[in-house]
Parts: sequence; structure tokens; C-alpha cells
Amino acid sequence: MRLSWARAFPLRLWGGCRGPKMRRVTGIEWAARPMCHSSSDAPEPPSDHGSQNTPRDEEQGGPAAFAAALEELERAPGRRLGRLELVAAALAAMPALGVARQLDAYNRLLRLLPRGPWVPRGPLHRLFAPFPRQQECGLQVLEQMERYGVMPDAETRFLLLAVFGPRSRPVRKCQRMLYWLPRMLHANPYPLPAQLPPPGLAAACLGLRRIANDPDARLSVYQQPQPEQGDNEGSTQPYIVGIQSAEQQELLARHGPEHPVFVEGPFPRPPPPRLFYYVLRGDPLPPHLREPPPDPERSLYYPLYLDLDLERGPWDDDEFDVNEVEEGPVFALCMAGTGDQRTLAKWIAGLQQTNPVLGQTPVIFRLGDGDSSAGSPGDGDALHLEGSRAAELEPPEVAWGRRAQGEG
Amino acid sequence: STAPPSPLTRGNEEVFPFPEISNEELQEINQFVGPVEKFFAEEVDSKKIDQDAKIPPETLKGLGDLGLFGMQIPEEYGGLGLSNTMYARLGEIISLDGSIAVTLAAHQAIGLKGILITGTDEQKAKYLPKLASGEHIAAFCLTEPGSGSDAASIQTRATLSEDGKHFLLNGSKVWISNGGLASVFTVFARTEIVEKDGQVKDKITAFIVERDFGGVTHGKPEDKLGIRGSNTCEVHFENTKVPVENVLGEVGGGFKVAMNILNSGRFSMGSASAGMIKKLIEMTAEHACTRKQFNKKLSEFGLIQEKFCFMAVKAYVMESMAYLTAGMMDRPGLPDCSVEAAMVKVFSSEGAWACVSEALQILGGLGYMKDYPYERYLRDSRILLIFEGTNEILRMYIALTGMQHAGKILTDKIKEIKKGNIGLAVQELVNKVRDSTGRKVDYGIMEERGGLVHPSLQESGKKLEENVYYFGTTVRGLLTRFGKTIVDEQLALKRVSDIVINLYAMTAAISRASRSISIGLRNHDHDVLLTNIFCTEAYFKNNYALAQLQKYADENLDDYIKKAAKQILEKRAYICSHPLDRTF
Repeated sequence: MRLSWARAFPLRLWGGCRGPKMRRVTGIEWAARPMCHSSSDAPEPPSDHGSQNTPRDEEQGGPAAFAAALEELERAPGRRLGRLELVAAALAAMPALGVARQLDAYNRLLRLLPRGPWVPRGPLHRLFAPFPRQQECGLQVLEQMERYGVMPDAETRFLLLAVFGPRSRPVRKCQRMLYWLPRMLHANPYPLPAQLPPPGLAAACLGLRRIANDPDARLSVYQQPQPEQGDNEGSTQPYIVGIQSAEQQELLARHGPEHPVFVEGPFPRPPPPRLFYYVLRGDPLPPHLREPPPDPERSLYYPLYLDLDLERGPWDDDEFDVNEVEEGPVFALCMAGTGDQRTLAKWIAGLQQTNPVLGQTPVIFRLGDGDSSAGSPGDGDALHLEGSRAAELEPPEVAWGRRAQGEG
Repeated sequence: STAPPSPLTRGNEEVFPFPEISNEELQEINQFVGPVEKFFAEEVDSKKIDQDAKIPPETLKGLGDLGLFGMQIPEEYGGLGLSNTMYARLGEIISLDGSIAVTLAAHQAIGLKGILITGTDEQKAKYLPKLASGEHIAAFCLTEPGSGSDAASIQTRATLSEDGKHFLLNGSKVWISNGGLASVFTVFARTEIVEKDGQVKDKITAFIVERDFGGVTHGKPEDKLGIRGSNTCEVHFENTKVPVENVLGEVGGGFKVAMNILNSGRFSMGSASAGMIKKLIEMTAEHACTRKQFNKKLSEFGLIQEKFCFMAVKAYVMESMAYLTAGMMDRPGLPDCSVEAAMVKVFSSEGAWACVSEALQILGGLGYMKDYPYERYLRDSRILLIFEGTNEILRMYIALTGMQHAGKILTDKIKEIKKGNIGLAVQELVNKVRDSTGRKVDYGIMEERGGLVHPSLQESGKKLEENVYYFGTTVRGLLTRFGKTIVDEQLALKRVSDIVINLYAMTAAISRASRSISIGLRNHDHDVLLTNIFCTEAYFKNNYALAQLQKYADENLDDYIKKAAKQILEKRAYICSHPLDRTF
């Protein structure tokens, strides 16, 4: 199929003089006009993909539809026109059909491309940026693979080598992908699981565990959603999930009933699914209360504190960091179906069972919207909670109204 | 100029010459040693004790008849009234059976030491006679499930009754040696005391509790890896009535009592381990010189010879350190030797574990079989690194006590430099330059005439002096860098304590070898040889550790170690991918 340049030259000239034609071009002229490939040549109608789709459900039929379309194209390989548009359309359709993460789809797509005609002939040809649009097409395939985190494998590399030749841009990109993609894929120390749970109680549990990031923290469901599952989960009664670790319990117990604690939120958690969490925190204690004073009779075997007047030298002092802001301790986290004070009061009541000190500590609700960490002080009341009766102290409409007034 | 931290601040008179005992004492000791050795050789069946996990009552009675239950109890109360040195000597023989050694140690080194040290005369007269004869056995109850070295988390409570005559003791203690056999317990519990300014505080108090007081129960004996004959179990106290007269020391002073008891019993581990290793050398040498492989006796192979030398050197140094410490403690009017005792314990426990392992290795497969005692010795010696203060904790103790001492001396100087006293800074700079270009250190140990050490130990003496001097400068540097936050730099402190232990070991070995050659004991040249070997090895190890302690040293891997440990502990697992994993 490949003409030498001497024989291809006059054909190229002749083809250029004739201008674009609205007819199917024969094989020789296809090879003779690699540079003037115009989009007016009959492109592959994307309706081929859609034709298999209509009777079936989009989600389930997606991959099957794509596979069927590809099979059809493989059976009739004679089309030399519009291959680039074909590939572009297929790439555009892949996310909708749900095959964007399957390596097999990309390999089959690459198999549709011709092997040989697009390989530059010799170093002189390579000097002049050969087959730019074809190589761009190959690059687009690889870029989509990169975007969706699909690793090319040996078959992909083989196909690219056959189609574009060694030292072409797609093959170089493939090499680079083989080097960088595993690194990028493993870069996240806290990867999301492959199957995300539907938004609701399960998603909230997953989200809380990721925020807390502590294998010792205990997740407790304070209230199950009613109805339990399905689309309208939690419509009658929202779920309340909380998480707290043992250290936080100790900190809360030491925080003391004199200092109030604040319920703040909702803070959004952007990665899908979109969740909001609430925080129970306190203000940082004054330094003299923060740590218990050194007890000389603490350790039986070796002195825990040296009675010297020497401080750490400046060259070894790594503790000061300009970006570190003094923050108060966080005692517990929670996610709830709805973010009103009544639901959160139920959370506090549930927390009280494991942290009895909450019974005497004033709890102030600062429920702004968004990331207002310093909410307006006029928002909530200092509630002295005794069991879940506190939730009935104030009907929710009044609380909402007061908050709206406070903000407005 | 710079003063090296303790124990070398003790001054040369205390460690040179090596402490001696008079001829009469030596005769007396040898009179004891004979019957005890005979008893252990004939009537103690270690293998059976290990298998049954129990010491037969006849053996206990025999030990009591020999007076081994009251070795350190004064003669007026019925004990043998031995000094520390003699106690160490007998410890060498008793250590032939690990379970018996631990039972006796738990009884007297910690169980009744409290009464000996802080008891009133009535308490001593009441309890010591029966304890000395072995009729009653004592136990030391401090450890609880939540509290190993942390005294603040002791939960056992003693509340004063209304009439003020009794304390009611409630709580449980775990891993108590002799817990099942003992009738007298030294128990540490929290009591409320009202201080002078009216504040009510929870402090620890020590009590002498008899089993007859009621409410004392013990659990079943624990199934252990080694020292299986020793009875270790949980002890529970339920509303045990303890009369007020049974408080040891004063109410609220239990912490000091506990520290004194724990710090005073450690040194005997040195001689005990040395005795065990000497016996092992005999047994393995017997084997190595008779067994032939490749038509050569095992004893002709270099690797086997190296093992024997290693065991002999360790045994020699352990003995020297133990008897030096015992001698210093016996000398009247000396301040406490708790740091030296801790150093002896650390060196001996690790040395014993390594030597027993090597001895088993010399025997090869035979050493692994239960028919031979080596595996029992190995299992018994593993506990040495753990009980009486784990080696890690004792290293911290040694290093921090030294730092405290050095810090007090050096604080003023360091502060002057930090403030920017030019003259002092220039002097320091000059000192540093002289150090780095090589300096001749002379502490007066190695003088031509009238020196403290025999000339044949000159090399070792020079090495010791050099190490001491550079150690002093390094400690100064560490204190300048870290100040009192050095408490948190455990990896640096570990190196400091390793160096100190080596220095003390070198001192003890040189002192003993010098005495040995000066008075012409049998095989004194072997003494000198072992000392020189040990000092050279320790000198290089010390230099390496000193190099690691410098700032920005290449040999110092602390930061990398901490980083790796942090990553592992974050995920609580080994985090590298499997070697066979692929990415595509």
C-alpha cells in the first residue's frame, strides 16, 4: 500500500489541484493524500452507536452497545474514510456508555486504525511532522485513557507501534504514561473505594471514617433513617451518625464543664458524594490548664522531666511553623440527614451516654451555612441537655426563625 | 574544663583499686559455697522443675535449711546477714537453676527488701524471722494490668476505716512472682492524703499485707516461656483489712520506697549471669573438644573459637562489673549506686542472652533438643531482659540521670556561651580545634610510676581515657543542642547510655585485671588478654556511637528511622508492595 515518494509525488500534486471531491476516494488516492484530509469526506455517522441503544436501558446497555458497535465496524473494515472522526466520536460517546474505564474498549478502538500507512518512512519524513492529525487522534485516545486513569497495557503499546511506528508521538506518550500513571494512581494515600455507596447512611459512614482517619475511632449510628433504604431514604426520619475516638473522649472529659463546647457546621465535603458534617469542638484552653503539671512521682524507673534550666537550641528547634494556627480541640464529628438543631440535639444526647460530662457542659449551636467557622454568636442558645427532652424544648420552626433573624 | 558525667565523676579512688574482701570473709564465703553447690548439683532436678512448672516442696525446704531465704537479713533476725559481695557470690551458684533463682530473688531482693530498708523495728522483729527461715515467703505487688512502669495509673485503693485503725485494700495485681506461695506481700496502693496546705491528693503507699488478713486470693499460675518453676499469678485483694502499723515508711511515701527497692536489687544479676555462662563454657567446651567433623575437632575451627572467646570476655566483664558495684555498695558512707546497678543489669542481661544463644549454636542440633539443658537456659535467660525494669527503660534511666548530673554542672557554662560571652566562645573554639586535630588525654590513670593501673594495661587505659574525654564533650554538645527536651530524644539517649555502660564495663575490667596482675593471681595474663580484647572492641563501638551523636552526622539515621516507623505505624502494617506486583 505504501508508494515510494517518487511515485507518490505526482499523485499528490494531481490530488491537490483537483480540490476536494464529494465522493469516496479509492485506496491509492487515500494513501496519496495524507496531508489534505478534510472533514467533508463522509464521516462515520455516530448514529451507528445510537442505533443499538434505543430499545434498552441506557445504563445497562451502554457497554454492550459499544461492544456491538465495535463489532459491526470490525466486520466491515473497508472504510478508509472518516476514521479519525470515528475515533473522535467513539471517544466522546464512551463516558456516556460507561466504558470509559475499560482498557478493552480502547484496545478494540485502536484496532480499527490502519497499521502501516501512518508509519513515517525514514528519518527525513519524521523531520517534517508526519501525519499530524492522525497522531493527534492517537494522542486523543491516550489522553482520554489518562483522564480516566486507565493503564495502557502491552497490547495497547503493540497496536500503537504498529499504527504509528516507533518514535512517534503516541508511542512516546504511551511510554510516558506507563511511567507516570502508576505513580499518579498510587499517589493518593487515602483512595476512595471503587464502588461508592449511594448517598445516605452508608455514604455518611464512609465519609466520616475518611474524615476521622483514625483506626481507633468508634462510629455510632444514633438514629437509623426511616424508611431504611431506597430512593426516599430518610424522608420520615433522618439518619444521625457520629464518630469519636477514645482520645477525644478523654480530652472532652478533661475540658471540664466550665468551658462551653460548640456545635458547628455544616461543613461541606466536596468529593462525591456531597456530604456535610458537623463538629463538636471547644475553644483552646489557656496554657496553664492545657496539660497537667509535671508530676515527679509519675514514673517508677526513670525521670520524665529533667530539672535543668536549659532550653532547646535554636538550630534544633523544629516546632515553630508560621502556618500553624492555634485551634481548639475537636471532640466529635457527625453527619446527619438534615442539619437542624433538633437532629443535632439528638446527636448530643447520644454522645452523652459515652461522655457523661456533656450533661453539665453548656452546648452552643453555631449552625451557619457553609464554612463559617466563627458563626454569629446570636445563633443558638446555651442548652443544658438532660436526655432527649432537650429536643422538645424548642419547636424547630421557632429555632429556624430565630436563626434567620439572627443572620438577617 | 568539661567534666564527664557520673559514674566517672565518682573519682578514681572509688573504682581503682578493685574492691577486695578480707581473708576471713573469703573463708566464710567459701564455707557457704560448698554446701550450696552440693545441694544444687545433687538435689535440684532442673529439668523436672521446668516440665512440671513447679518447685517441689522438698527443694524449698532444702533451700530454707541452707539459709538461702534470708541471705541479706541481719543475723539477729535469723538470717545470714551477708554483705552485697557475698550475696553476689552465692547468686552465681543459685543461678544454675533459673526458676529457683527467680523465686529467691522475688522473695528477698524485692519481696522483703522493703521491710529491711524502711521497716520499723517492730515490723522487722515481727516478720523477718519467719521470712528468713523460709517458713513464709514474700512477694512484691506493684504491677497492675494498666500500670507497668507508670505509677500514676495504679488503681488499687486503700481507704482508711472510720476508727482509723485499719486500711481497707481493694484491687488486683498481675504477674506477681511467688504470688501463689507467698504469705507476706508488699503491696502498693493509692491513698488519699491531706497535705499541709489542705489539698487532698492521691499518693501511693506501701503496705505489708499478710495472707491471714483475709480477702487475699490468687489466680492460677501463668504458663510461661521460661522460669516455669517460678509461680507467677494474679493476686486479688477484696476489702483486706490492713492495720495501720503495717504501713511501710509513711503514708503517701510509697513511691520512694518502691524506687529504693527496685534500684537496690539489680546488681546481683551480673554475677548470676556470669555464673551461668561459666558453667555453659564448661559444658560446651567439653562437647567442642570431643566432637569431630571433617577429621578435625570442633575446637580447631576459628568460628567456634571465636564463640568461646566471646563468652569468656562477657563473663569476665559481667563479673567485674557486678563485684565492683557490690564492693562500692558495701563501702560505708557511699551514696547510692543505682545507676551502676542499672548498668550492670543491662549489660548482663543482654550478654547472657547472646552467650546462651552462642552456646546453643556451638552444639548445633543437639543444643535444640530438650534432652540437653541449653534450650532451658535460653528460655530462662530471655526474661532477664524484661523483668526488674526492661532494658529500654533502664537505658533511659542511666542516660537521664547522667544528663541531670552533667546538666547541673554545665548549665552555667552553656548559658554563658549562649549569652555571647566572647572570651568563653573563643576558648571553646580553640578547644574544638585542638580536639579535632587530635589531643592527648591524660586523666592520671596511666602514669609511669604511681599510676593506678598496671603498665601492661596501658593501651586499654589510654583508650578509656580518650573515650571519657570525648564523651564529655559530646554530652556538652547534646545539652547545648537539646537542653531539657533531651527527654524526648530517646534514640540519642540510647547511644549515650550504651557508651556509659561500655565505659563502666571497661573501667571495671581494667581495674580487676590490674589487681589480678599486680598481686599475681592464677592465670593473670588471661585476665589481661580478655580485658584488652574487650577494651578494644568497646573503644570502637564507643567511637562509632560518639560519631553518630554529632549533629548532621552521616552515621546518624535517627530521622530516617523515625520517618519509616511513622509510616508503618500509620497504616499499622508493612506497607511496601509485594515483590511480585505489576502495574500493567
